[in-house]
Amino acid sequence: MQLYSMDSRDIQKIKEKFLKEISGTKKPDERKKVCKRYVEEELSSVFSSLKDLSGENKTSLGRAANELRQFILECLKEEKKEAIKEKEKIDVTLPGKITEAGSNHPITSLRGKCEEIFSKMGFAVVEGPELENEWYNFDALNFKEDHPVREMQDTLFVKQKERERLSSQEKLLMRTHTSPVQVRYMEKNDPPFRIIVPGRVFRNEATDSSHEINFYQLEGLMVGEKISVAHFKKVIGFFFRQLFEEEKISIRLRPSFFPFTEPSFEVDVSCSICSGKGCSVCSRTGWIEVMGAGMVHPNVLRSGKVDPGKFNGFAFGVGLDRIAMIQHKIDDIRLFYGGDLRFLKQF
Amino acid sequence: MMHFFEVEEVKKVEDDFLLDIDILSSRAGDCLSHMGVAREVAAITGMKCNFPQEKPKESREDLSSRIDVEIRGACNRYTLCAIEGLEVGESPSYIKKRLRTCGIKPINSVVDITNYVMLETGQPLHAFDADKLEGKKVIARYAKKREKIVTLEEKRYELDNDILVIADEFSPIGIAGIKGGIVPEVDKKTTNIYLEAANFDQGVIRRGSKKLGIRTDASLRFEYGLPVELTEIALERAASIMSEVSGGKILKGSFDHYSGKAEEKEISFDADEVRDVLGVKIPLKEMEKILKGLDFKTRRSENRFYVTRPYFRLDIEEKEDVIEEIGRIYGYEKIEEEAPMEEIIPSKGENSFSTEKECREIWKGYGFSESYNYSFIDEKSAFLLDKEKLIEMEKPVSLEFKYLRPSLLTGLLKNLNANERNFASVELFEIGKVFSSEKNGTKEEKKIAMISSRDDFYGIKGKIDLFLQELFHEEASYLLSQEKNKFFNGNRLATIKVKGEIVGEFGEISAEARKIMKVKSNAVMAELDFHKLQNLRKDIKEYEPILRFPPSIRDIALLVPQETFYDEVFERIRKAGGRTLKKITLFDSYQGKELPEGMKSFAFRLSFQDKNKTLSSKEVEELQKRVIKEIEKMSDWKVRK
Repeated sequence: MQLYSMDSRDIQKIKEKFLKEISGTKKPDERKKVCKRYVEEELSSVFSSLKDLSGENKTSLGRAANELRQFILECLKEEKKEAIKEKEKIDVTLPGKITEAGSNHPITSLRGKCEEIFSKMGFAVVEGPELENEWYNFDALNFKEDHPVREMQDTLFVKQKERERLSSQEKLLMRTHTSPVQVRYMEKNDPPFRIIVPGRVFRNEATDSSHEINFYQLEGLMVGEKISVAHFKKVIGFFFRQLFEEEKISIRLRPSFFPFTEPSFEVDVSCSICSGKGCSVCSRTGWIEVMGAGMVHPNVLRSGKVDPGKFNGFAFGVGLDRIAMIQHKIDDIRLFYGGDLRFLKQF
Repeated sequence: MMHFFEVEEVKKVEDDFLLDIDILSSRAGDCLSHMGVAREVAAITGMKCNFPQEKPKESREDLSSRIDVEIRGACNRYTLCAIEGLEVGESPSYIKKRLRTCGIKPINSVVDITNYVMLETGQPLHAFDADKLEGKKVIARYAKKREKIVTLEEKRYELDNDILVIADEFSPIGIAGIKGGIVPEVDKKTTNIYLEAANFDQGVIRRGSKKLGIRTDASLRFEYGLPVELTEIALERAASIMSEVSGGKILKGSFDHYSGKAEEKEISFDADEVRDVLGVKIPLKEMEKILKGLDFKTRRSENRFYVTRPYFRLDIEEKEDVIEEIGRIYGYEKIEEEAPMEEIIPSKGENSFSTEKECREIWKGYGFSESYNYSFIDEKSAFLLDKEKLIEMEKPVSLEFKYLRPSLLTGLLKNLNANERNFASVELFEIGKVFSSEKNGTKEEKKIAMISSRDDFYGIKGKIDLFLQELFHEEASYLLSQEKNKFFNGNRLATIKVKGEIVGEFGEISAEARKIMKVKSNAVMAELDFHKLQNLRKDIKEYEPILRFPPSIRDIALLVPQETFYDEVFERIRKAGGRTLKKITLFDSYQGKELPEGMKSFAFRLSFQDKNKTLSSKEVEELQKRVIKEIEKMSDWKVRK
């Protein structure tokens, strides 16, 4: 005997109870269970009670129960989607899977940057031999025979039999600068031209934190008609402003002496680290000595078979190691030539 | 200082100031002296120099009655005077103080004055006791072989005939321009002296000083070269201070061997030339003022300058030198930047840098880091190399740098050894020059080399293969190397060929190399000739039409003897397959117990494709049969069915 017969208001109550329970459940998986329980237990007991009813009551209750069933099944579908989405959640802050990265040597990168800047100004990139002879390294560059300047370069000579008997073209050495390429290029090309020569140079010095037996220079040469110090200042100013990515860099020339240039200068740039105020990098002077330069000596033009009456030019040489050391704040030049991956992988 | 030299340091010494100035080597001839620096300061500031002018008073007695001087070589000028009856004592305090400030120890009045005048004028002087000479002759000559001398520091030197000495009639009394001898040393008992101011040949002094290993304030100045006019000036100055300080009388006349003044050369140039070189227009009057301030004899007619250098400026030889003088005194900071208007002409010939860049990017992409190693190797690593071909250095600072590197591999192996304790795997590459000695001279080549302790033989081979394809759009071929190379295990060393040319080799490290270079891992490495890579430049690749009809795939497995190379099998299949066989892929290679003894198995996937039609299965079958038939022509090859 049934004491109480259900009607559609009871269905409404079940729905409210369901919604309350659903909203109180946090995880989609749990909510899926709630949905299933209502369909399989609560509603099925309603459906089974239908058979005891008849007439209008049966029809309306049946419809209401069916509607609720549909509603819960919809919810279940949604919850299933939610559950899948839930499983897709990942920790985006976990480290990525990487293939070990390789690296370029810091001097390679600097050299590349310099080449790019000079290319913009129409300079061609040229190479020359590292194993040179005395004529190109000294004689052709107006280094006088028997002058102490020739010895100041700490030249690393090649061991040769009866060396004293050889001509300077036959005496071999490791080039002490990239300047021999000036003459080598002039011999084969007619002015006007503008070239840069990056490359390795050698000094027979004991190595320490600021001296190496081999290091890198970048030579520049521009030859034409009526080339002036003013032109040199423009080219070199452009170069340093681009290299240090700083418009306000100033350049200063100090008188100097090199056998292969006349006039000769030391080129200083204002310290880009302290903007010229003075810091440890520039030894509190606000200036950093970066380059030796000058107007090509007529004897050097003659060595390269260029008529000094018609053409002149400027030349410069910059130490790449030193610039790289300043830029990366590296305090020991030997790191460049040690092949230590702890150093190399940082670039 | 922006117009002159750099002042390295200003130091207070007693109540005086010491300026440590870095003198440019070209100006050693005039500026290794207080007078020279004073003249520069005057030229820059526009002040006047007042140098002492007094001439010493001479007695009536003649120098020639006392001594004869004979010059037998290497003297541009030799000046000598005599002072008699002087008293050697302590120098006045102003002299002692000046010497101490400049780092020279005061000894006695005569010696101190010679040093004082050297600092002042730049001219080295030497005094010797007249009574300690034997005979009546001072001779400047080359030493005899094995001739000996004891110097003022009581050090004994053996001389030879490259070294110039000052001698009396019997033996050397000093090493010319370098160091005095002990015999005629001026001491407290000395009363008569000869005072010498000479100008010796630069090269002779330089070589002598180098040979004997003696460098002095005097030798340094001679090596750089001094103006000949200076001997007389310095001698007069020293003699007059000496007679004032120590008394004594100066004998009449002085001996003066003088090969003659350097010819006075007039240099002429146009004001326009100055403007063209400096890039700034300096007023004529200002240029004149600058030149006169530097003691140039200057005249001008309109725009043309005619100048003669002062005697002390040996560095001025051409008009460029004069333009530099004008420029530096005028001030380089006053020159404004100006863009060059010259035409830009691209250079002819090869530029290796773009190929270098391409190579670097590829190997960096593979995870390799770029290393720079020394261009030199030591004796130990030389064991791995052909010693005949090594180029040896003359007196390198360290034996680490005994030979030029003939290969990049030594450096990379050294790097491997150094990195092994910090890294589980080491992958490095380097691009650089290597050197070797050949029959007809020396050879310098650019190479690219790599080393990996992560890859095995086929790992590095795959990378090299892809690298070469990227560079040339062409497949490389590989052969077992016949050359001996101590770096590599001979059974695992391959020669790399591109377009029929050998470009390098790669393989596994040898046990010997591992031992010598102290390498733990079984590394693989490669070295390729960079210029060949560059010269075998890639052609512009021709496009291959995309085939519209689907390919038919057939697999084929075969047994071949273990010593048969894959290449041989591949070639045979390729030839048999003809044009429709578009792709042959090895998908399995196996050796094991299940196989007949001495055999290995290869499994290939063949892809047949025709550009005009879809191949029927019958046609494909025919093609496959052709391949199988071709394979079975080899008696010991077997297709597995």
